[in-house]
Order: sequence, then C-alpha cells, then structure tokens
Amino acid sequence: MKKVNVFAWIGLFIFTIVVLAGCSSEKDEAANGEARAELSYASSKDINDMNPHLYAGSMPAQGMLYESLVENTQEGIKPLLAESWEIAEDGKSYTFHLREDVVFHDGEPFNAEAVKLNIEAVQHNAEKHAWIKLSTKIVSVNVKDEFTVELQLSEPYYPTLVELSMTRPYVFLSPKDFVNGETKDGVNGYNGTGPYKLAEHQTDEYAIFEANDSYWGGSPQIKKITSKVLPAGETTFLALQKGEINFVFTDDRGADSIDVEAMEQLVESNDYQLVRSEAMNTKMIVANSSRIDNPVSETAVREAIWYSIDRDTISKDIFNGTEAAANRLFSANVNYADVDLKVRDYDSETAKEVLEKAGWLLENGAAVRTKAGNKLALNLYYDTNSASQKIQAEFIQSSVKAIGMQMDIIGEESSSIANRRATGDYDLLFNQTWGLAYDPQSTIAAFTSESAYYHTTRGITQADELYKKIDEVMVSTDEETRKSIYADIMTIVHDEAVFIPITNGRVTVVAPKGLNDISFKQTQYELPFERMSFE
Amino acid sequence: MNIWLSLSKDKLAVMSLLIIVATLAAGIFAPQFAPHDPTEVNMQLKYAASSWTYLLGNDHLGRCILSRLIYGIRPSVLWVLVALAISVCIGAVIGFIAGYFRGKIDAFMMRICDVMLSFPGYVMTLAVVGILGAGLEHILIAFVVMKWAWFARVIRTAVMQYSDMDYVKFAKASGSSHLTVIVRHIVPVTFADIAVISSGSICSMILQISGLSFLGLGIQAPNAEWGMMLNEARGVMFSRPELMLAPGLAIIIVVSAFNFLSDALQAAINPQLKTAQRKLQASEVRVSSYESIRG
Amino acid sequence: MGSYMVKRIGIAVPLLIMISFLTFVLINLSPLDPAVVVLQAQDIPEVTEELIAQTNEKLGFNQPFMIRYLHWAASCLQLDFGVSYVTGESVWLTIAPAFLNTLKLTLVSSVFIIVMSILLGVACAMREGKMMDKSVRGIAFFLTAIPSYWLASIMIWYFSVHLDLLPTSGMDSYRSYILPVIVLTISYAGIYFRTVRSSMLNQINEDYVLYGRASGLSEKKITMHILRNSLQVAISIFAMAIPIILGSTVVIENVFAWPGLGRLSVKAILSRDFPIIQAYVLIVAVAFVFFNTISDIINAAMNPKLRKDL
Repeated sequence: MKKVNVFAWIGLFIFTIVVLAGCSSEKDEAANGEARAELSYASSKDINDMNPHLYAGSMPAQGMLYESLVENTQEGIKPLLAESWEIAEDGKSYTFHLREDVVFHDGEPFNAEAVKLNIEAVQHNAEKHAWIKLSTKIVSVNVKDEFTVELQLSEPYYPTLVELSMTRPYVFLSPKDFVNGETKDGVNGYNGTGPYKLAEHQTDEYAIFEANDSYWGGSPQIKKITSKVLPAGETTFLALQKGEINFVFTDDRGADSIDVEAMEQLVESNDYQLVRSEAMNTKMIVANSSRIDNPVSETAVREAIWYSIDRDTISKDIFNGTEAAANRLFSANVNYADVDLKVRDYDSETAKEVLEKAGWLLENGAAVRTKAGNKLALNLYYDTNSASQKIQAEFIQSSVKAIGMQMDIIGEESSSIANRRATGDYDLLFNQTWGLAYDPQSTIAAFTSESAYYHTTRGITQADELYKKIDEVMVSTDEETRKSIYADIMTIVHDEAVFIPITNGRVTVVAPKGLNDISFKQTQYELPFERMSFE
Repeated sequence: MNIWLSLSKDKLAVMSLLIIVATLAAGIFAPQFAPHDPTEVNMQLKYAASSWTYLLGNDHLGRCILSRLIYGIRPSVLWVLVALAISVCIGAVIGFIAGYFRGKIDAFMMRICDVMLSFPGYVMTLAVVGILGAGLEHILIAFVVMKWAWFARVIRTAVMQYSDMDYVKFAKASGSSHLTVIVRHIVPVTFADIAVISSGSICSMILQISGLSFLGLGIQAPNAEWGMMLNEARGVMFSRPELMLAPGLAIIIVVSAFNFLSDALQAAINPQLKTAQRKLQASEVRVSSYESIRG
Repeated sequence: MGSYMVKRIGIAVPLLIMISFLTFVLINLSPLDPAVVVLQAQDIPEVTEELIAQTNEKLGFNQPFMIRYLHWAASCLQLDFGVSYVTGESVWLTIAPAFLNTLKLTLVSSVFIIVMSILLGVACAMREGKMMDKSVRGIAFFLTAIPSYWLASIMIWYFSVHLDLLPTSGMDSYRSYILPVIVLTISYAGIYFRTVRSSMLNQINEDYVLYGRASGLSEKKITMHILRNSLQVAISIFAMAIPIILGSTVVIENVFAWPGLGRLSVKAILSRDFPIIQAYVLIVAVAFVFFNTISDIINAAMNPKLRKDL
C-alpha cells in the first residue's frame, strides 16, 4: 500500500464524478433548444386532487382543465361554454344555450345532460359547498333539449352568474369519470373541456399538461405546461436562473415563491420579463373575534393592531413599492365599496391610547400589557411558502411589541392555515380577499361560511345583524337597497376591525423574455395560459 | 487529572477549549457583549453594509447581525448544553438503578434504552416537533428523550463493574454504606466516558438544531439562532452572499472546536483503558459517539 | 450461525413491538381530537357534537387505549396507515414512493461514503501520527462541522449556477444524484473514516500481527491480512451507516427538493398531517431496526467471536 495508490484512488474517484457531470451537460444544452414552446412553472405544492368538485386541487391547474358556463371579465359576464342565456322575469329560472362544438378530453360530448349530471353531483355534496350560496338556492337542473339546460332556483339570487363563473365547483367533468354517478368520493379521470389535458402526474414531483388539440377555442400555442414542485425561495430562483423552469406566478394562496429582489435580479439578467396585474385583492390579517378567552376578541385590541402597522414601510421596504398600502378591506373602486369609513392611519400613540382605554395597562417595568392578570399575547400564523409574509409577520411582531403587545408568529403550510381558519383555531392569520370577480359579494358571503370567515365575524357584537344583512343583500333585486346594505356591512366589519388590511395584492408573473400575450383574468386563481404564445 | 495534563500538551485542544469557553462566555453575557438589541427592527437599515455602529451590517429587517450572532449562542450552544446536562442526569439515575438492582428492572430499562436507540436522531426530533409543533423547547425535549439512553448504558456498565469489586463488598461488610462507595468510585470513571460521548453529541446537536431552524421547525422569530439566520440569508444568497458567511462560520468554528476537543479527550482517556473489559466498553462508547455525531 | 440468527431476530421482534407502541403513544399525545381532525379532513363545514360522537363510534376512537393500539398495529401490518388529513389519499401510497426515493439516495451515498472512508481510513492508519494522518483528520473534523445545508447551497451555486454543470434540484436523472451525494459524502465520510482508522489501528496492534512479524512473515502479507480484516469493518459500517443516513437526509432533501421522506415529513409537520408523521416515524424506525439486525448478522457471520455475545 504505497502513498501514491491512495491518492490515485481518490483522484480517480473525483475524476469520475467530474467526468460524469461534464459529459452529461452537453446533452442538456441540446435539449434546451426544443423547449421553446413549453412552459414549466414552479409551485411549492403538488397540484393535488384535480377533482373539480372538491377543494384540494391547485386552482390554476384546475383552471387549465375545466371550464364554467360563463366567464367573468372586466366587461362583465361573458359566454364560455354557454353561448347565451335568459333569465326569467321572476329571477328564479336561468336557461342556458350551450356551445354545440365542445367535447370532453375523452371524446365524450358536452351537452345539457352532462351539465345536469355535473351540477347534480355538486349538489349531492351540499355540505362542502355551503360557502357558495348558489348551492343552497338550486332546486333543479332540467334538460330542455340536447344543448339547452335550465337552472331552477328557490329564490332570486343576483350573484348567480358570478358564482357559476368561478373556478370551482360549477365546472364540468366528463360523466364517464364519475364514480357511481357521483364525484364526491373521488373520480376516475380528469377529463374536462379546457384548453389543456392532464398528461402525467407524479405526486410531489411534477404534473404535465398538454394542449388540447380539439379545444373548441382552437388548440393553444403553448403545447406543454409542466408544474414542478419546488420549495419556494432560492431553490425556485436557482431553477429559474438555470432554465430548469421558466415561469413562476403568484399562487392561489397569494404567495409569491420568490421575493421582489430576486424577481428584479432575474429581469436584469435579460432572460426574463416581469408582468404584474392591476391590484386584484386586499392582503390582510384576519382576526378571530370569536376567541373569547383571547385578547383578540376585543375590538380595542384589533384596532390597536390596525393602528400600529406602518403600511407605507411595508409597501416601500418589503414590497419595494410593488404593492400599495391598503387602508380598508375593499378599496373604494370595488363595486359597492365607495363607502365612508373611519380612517385609521399608522399611529402607535393612538394604538397605545386605545389599549389604555380598554384597560390593558403596562405594569411598571413589564414589556407586555396585562388586564386582570391576562397577558396581551396573540399568535399570528403565516404561510411558510411566502417569503414576504414571513418578513411582514416579523415586522408586525416588532411593531406591536412597541405598543406592549406580545405576538408569536408561526409558519405553517397553507393547507394547515386554511384548516385553522375553518375551525377557528387561530388568533390572527394572513389572508387575502378573493379578488376582482369575487369582491365584494363572494368575500362577504364568505363571512357566514364556516370554512371561511365565520369565526372571524361571529364574535362581534352585531354578528346576527351582520348575517341578516348579508342574507338580505344577496337576494335583493334593487340596486339602491343593495348599495345601502353593502355600506352597512362594510361599516360594521370596518368598525370592528376584524379584517386588518395591509396592502393591495397583485398577481405577478415572471416569464421568459419572448413570451407574449401574458394577460390576467378577473380572478387571482387562474392564468389564461391558452392565450400566451412565443415570438 | 492526567487528562488535563495530556490535554494541555495538545495545542489544538487548548485552542478549541479557549474558543468554546469564549463562546460560552459571550453567550451567557450576551447583553453585555452585544452592541444592540438583537430584535430591534429598523427598516431604514435593511441590508445595510457593515459600519462602525453595526460591525457586521444589518439583516432584512435592519437588525444588527453581530448582536443576533451573539444572542444566537444561547439557543445554538447554551441550550444544547443544558439539554445534554439533563440527559446525563436522567441517564445517570436510570443507569444507576439498572446497574445496582439488576434483574428484571435492569432488563426492562435496557429494553427501553434499546427502543430509544433504535430511533435515528432526526426521526425522533421530527416526531416530537410534529406532535408538539415547531419550537426550540420541543427540539430540546426530543434531545433529552433521545440521549439519556446512551448515558444510561455507560453508567450501568460502570456500576455493574464496581459493585462487584472486593472493596465494595468489604465496605458493605464493614457496615459503611456501599452506595456511597459506588458513587464515589463510579463518578470519576464514568466521567471520562460521559465527556467523550457528550462532546461528540454536542456537535450533532448543534448541527441538528441549526438544521431544523433552517427548515423553519426550530426556534421561532424574533429570537436569533444561527440556523435561522442562515435560512434568512439563503433567500438573498445571490445578491448578498456575505450574509451567509457570519452564521455559517460561527457554526463551523464552534462545531470544529467541539470536534477537536472530543478527539483530544478520547486520545487523553484511551491510555487509561487497559483491561479487556474496559476496552470492550470503550469500543461500544466509540461507536455510539460516532453514531450520534450526526444523529 | 443459525441459532445466532434466530436469537438476533428474536431480539428484534419485541423491539419492533415496543417501537410501534411508542409511536402510537407519541401520536396520541397530540393535542387535537382525532374525530374532529377526521371530520375536518372531509371538509365538513360544521362539526357538531353529534357528528364527533358518531365519528368516535364509527372509527373506534372511544375504545380503550390498548384495543385501539391493537387495531392500529394490525392495520399497519397490512400497510394500512390511514389517509392523509390534507390530501385524503392513502398514507402508504404517499409514503412508499418517497421512501424509495430516499432509499436510493441513501444507498448511493453510502457506497461513496464507504469508499472514501476506507481509502482515507486505511491510508491514515498506515501512517499513524504522521503529517498525512494528522492533516486528513483535521480536515475531516472541519468538514463534518460544516452544516450540510450551507455546503449544499454553496455547491449548488458553484456547480449548478456558476459552472452550469448540474441540475439545481429535483430527481430527474442520475445527474441529480451527484450534488446531494457529494454533500452527504463530505458530511459523513469524515465520521466513518475515523471508525475505519481506529479499527485498523486496533488490528495493527493485535497479537496476530505481532506474532506474524515475529515469525518472519513479509510485511506485504501482514498488510493483506490487515486489509482482509478491515473489509469486515467496512461491511459492518456500511450496514450501520445506511439506517443513520436514511434518517438524516431531511435537511439535504429539503435543500435539493428531493422528493423523498425527509421532504414529505417536514411538509407533513408544517401542515399538521399526523397520519403521515406517524407512518414516517414508524417506517424509518422499522427500517433502522431492520438494517441494524442485518448488520449484526453479517458481522457475526464474519466474526464468530461475536456470536457468543448475545
């Protein structure tokens, strides 16, 4: 055993690795050339169950596979799978005339019967769809002829078309994929009518979507879209830099997988472009007013938090000015939201006063206020996959510390946060309003929904009145009444400070340089991939 | 005292010891050493470069990195030592009971030890964190749950050897409590083994705590911890690579120091391990300390 | 030998039972009401007291603890670990492919770790106390002190981004293995190389070497003798290292986005998906016992002296 031998072995060992690495990289470059007509985007979560009548799946992915009867656009409701429709005088009956050239991915025809089967399958799982009020109003679905279908409601419901346009649940799956005529216990396949088909899915690794060549709107230009599961942050950033993926966008929970600086760095590198939508929603902290044993159930405490947050600094230093500070749940340009509300600007002195008045006092020397022996301590939950949420949480944590409030911040996966929201197991958590198409009606309807903001609103003194007004506004047929009820609703939740706004969120897309026609829908949950094309 | 003598001849060991002592002191007296409040946020100083007021610059919230580094010694090193001390105590009590009473109690306790030893370190930690939620204290609990078994085994073996010795029997016959005799004899002998296992375990524990904090399962904000600082720095690794440097080097230096010290300790103790029995035990200890280096 | 194997496996079985019991106890410490969790997993919007009682009845949550344990253990034996709270999919179907991916990474890394450890260990033992021995050991201490995620980040930056040679993450081809394997090798070879070195040193000081020298055997033959004995050490380390690496790829998998157990478990923890956590703990612990048993048996097969120790 001579000295040389050992080093020779080690050398050979390292050499082998380098050679293995080196020779294979050439192959890689060859592959890059063909990848032009493809998009590959990073997502921190798997696309999950693509059953469109349940809620586990990734919404942007479901948006590629499935379509609804109508579409919500900037100019209002437009035809999609239904070419036209009539609403009966009494507002209780909707008749849809379907497109006749639509087939599901498996070749099954899309017709009135398929619509009936799908909507009924959704209705059979009523409990899960309680948040979408239309599900409680549908009485029957009747096939009039091959391509005409009629929806019968129990009472007039003005957001009917808006709710039918949502990404889920009123979208259409080939009836062949149903299990025993139902979809609630799983499905056999994911054949929708949308511009893309699900070609391959490897759980927690990737999902491949291929263009639907028989799409009624014409086969999309981007032939292949891959959704790759990558941890958010610098893994995603590196993959973008290397071209292993070439696309990222704000996910359906409002989380950007890379931060603003990283995006700007990518744009500087000249390989990428950055496209932002107009302001879509309001990012906010949701307070659980029904947590009686916690300080968060007090209006004064929630107000104090509101006053203590310096939104301009957040907008300027955390979002680099890409998101504007928000001072109300719905910005004034949202429908019905031009209401006079009390202004609560950043002012930690006022925050302290509010707390003092409510009896939360600083004992000499203590860092945290107390009242009747209870500490002013709260938990704030944030999404671990959102870089900006963590920084905001830390910033807010230190802001409220200055007014004598202890805030523990806890990062979890978005599914766990959604779960907390649904069960009321939280003090404060990050959330966002549902976006242009949904604001204000769906977001407000969600105040009463257990899976959404029921726990948030239940603890406020006027809760019953609030819920009554929400029921009223949804069935009211008079525009002026609606306006005034909405104003009341917004005033109540604003005064109670249960939704503490932070910034107005946008959908941000980082895409390869040559990609054209990047546009946005009226919802933050979908991206119109089918409209994009390469130069 | 032989150990100290041979240690003091090893320059590397002396240096390691100095580094460790200095680190511990800085951690204990963090409020005196740190130039600023480690949790003080100042967005105007976001990612500011180093200056005379902020020697190592500022992080994403404009906090003083040097102060965070110094306060970070507490969770990263000091609390690990506390957890280790608790495991030694629990291990000592259980090992002593098992070795002293023997029989069924011994068999039962050693089986429990076997079970604990058959969970790889990270898995046990993840299990505890998974149930109780993320947090430094939960990781420390997991450490205690894991590590006592190592010490219990070693101490048990030592107790068994010494309780058989003639002078112990003699002490018993002469009426003096043989318990005190055993304790008096066992403490110095097991001390060496415990020191070897401990110094090896510390490395794995420091790396594990920082690794878990890095994954977001460890210490919670706003407290400073080296792994968490690295996690925060990783987000801007390419625009500001210097942020990765300070906490990374801190971990490397401290863990290396413990590594060298552990090695020197073993070397210093080894010559004393002469009898076949002791040799066997030593090899057992050696394997275990290696196993626990990375957990 | 046969009786040794029987005895050794005889020890493993009660161990497995106790491990499964401990895992069950651990999960039952969770502060959440299992019935409520199951109901939420089904997205039931309103969880009423009645529904909870019904679910408890239906799923047997109100039975005595031991009965529940037995039911649970029986279904685990049939690889039925329940369904994930988050996705609603079978835990086994979720965890099995992840386990395989982790196992692949572990096995490949182990091979490299062993090769490096033996090369360095033998070389150092042959030159005990010399410059090379000292410097290699010093470097090894230093390398094992580097946090693996730190090293990994730097490697990704240099090899994947700067030189553009390797993929940054994922598990697409054999090239995806290179970086994680190198990082694991650097982190662990430093540890096992010490084991090889010290066992080699023990061998060198063994009596047979002294006798060999005294009776005039050539140095070459003695070296071969020592090497043959150290092969045994290598194999036993190999078997020992696999389960340890299997349980500690967590951080590396998260840095490299490796679709294995480590990532799955961290995700499960952050989404409080208890059935996955439970299955993860159980499966890795069982794998740990399995590989340990095998390693003991292999050791005993090669070294008859050890068979008496049981």
